[in-house]
Amino acid sequence: MHVHDLNPKKTLWAVIIFLILIVVGFLTMRSPLMTYEENIAQSIQTVRDTSSYYFYPYELTDVLNHQNKDVVLIDIRNKYEFGQGHIPGAKSIPSFDLAKKNNLEMLKNFQRDRVKVVLYANDQLDATGAWFFFRQVGFKNTYILLGGYDFYAKHASDLKATKKDQNLFLKGISRYNYAEVAKSSTGSVDNQNTSTKPVVFKRRKKATVAAGGC
Amino acid sequence: MNRNYIILTLIMLILAIGTIFISQRQFTKQVPPEELLWDVLQPTRFVSTDLVAKRIIEKDPSQLLIDVRSASQFESFSLPGAINVPFDSLKTSAAMAYFGNPGTKVVLFSNDGILADEAWILLRRLAYKNNYVMKGGLNGWIQTIIRPLAPAETSSEKVIEQYNFRRAASMYFIGSKTDVNKSQKAKITFVKRKKSVVAAGGC
Repeated sequence: MHVHDLNPKKTLWAVIIFLILIVVGFLTMRSPLMTYEENIAQSIQTVRDTSSYYFYPYELTDVLNHQNKDVVLIDIRNKYEFGQGHIPGAKSIPSFDLAKKNNLEMLKNFQRDRVKVVLYANDQLDATGAWFFFRQVGFKNTYILLGGYDFYAKHASDLKATKKDQNLFLKGISRYNYAEVAKSSTGSVDNQNTSTKPVVFKRRKKATVAAGGC
Repeated sequence: MNRNYIILTLIMLILAIGTIFISQRQFTKQVPPEELLWDVLQPTRFVSTDLVAKRIIEKDPSQLLIDVRSASQFESFSLPGAINVPFDSLKTSAAMAYFGNPGTKVVLFSNDGILADEAWILLRRLAYKNNYVMKGGLNGWIQTIIRPLAPAETSSEKVIEQYNFRRAASMYFIGSKTDVNKSQKAKITFVKRKKSVVAAGGC
């Protein structure tokens, strides 16, 4: 004799409680703060399309003299580095804090208002990780400041002039003709005027008469 | 009662079918965004050109060099033993075979490390581990390994040691000295050993 047969209603109650628990579980499940909005193929395309995220140093001039109000600068370095010097008007939000709830909300508002969010760190590489991350979680209005703070600090007095020589801050290009440099002879720049004489080794004469030894 | 069991079975079946729909939403394995951000902000993925050079010279079998630049750039020059996986082809399964193999340290490189870093982030998102990025990329490779700058004579022992390693590595990779600092050259003098007279004796 099965135990439930004694009280068939018990089974029904158990089933109902079980279902309620599952429904409550699903309803109270926390939705993740961030989700990937781009798949891998889209992210690869994002990186390829540099015009969608490059912010050139010379574009800063309009931001700094308040002509371009649709740009927000965010300094993602730590507070100490920010304190040592930063671009005027930049907000200091270290990259990990930028992924906190209130800041994500702020980013969402910027995106809604079509404001460009320009991230910068000391150089482009330092900001690349954070920029790429925020693009992948859906913030298409995220830009990266080429050259970073180091470049800005060096050329702050005349940012417009940097437009002429973009080689100073552009990344991803080869700075050498690698194949040429790697050739054995052409690499030796300083070697051309070598006038040193070859070292001549004189052979020791064989010792006569039982030199002895072990 | 039989009826109760039928109801229970039906409920279980409905729940089981439900899980199929849940798992189909994200069929490729990806790390959660929070975890990805945490990993992206760690500088541990960067390896120096010196370490890469050392491992190439020692023929370390656990190092796998991956060039993420385009195929044409790869053909004109790359590091010895490197394999070309262009950034665009990262989503293909053929390219993925190189990653995530136990016991292999994959070192990604590009012209200056930015493209390699972006490739690293995508791979990390796809939950691949044991990948590294060569800091400075090939531009850094030329600056540090192939054409090292002589440090000041007052530099610390460590810096001078590093410079000597780089010069030796440069000779290994391109077969000639790239820069010779003449002032540092010591004059070599040979002292002739005197002729041994009769029966110099032994031990």
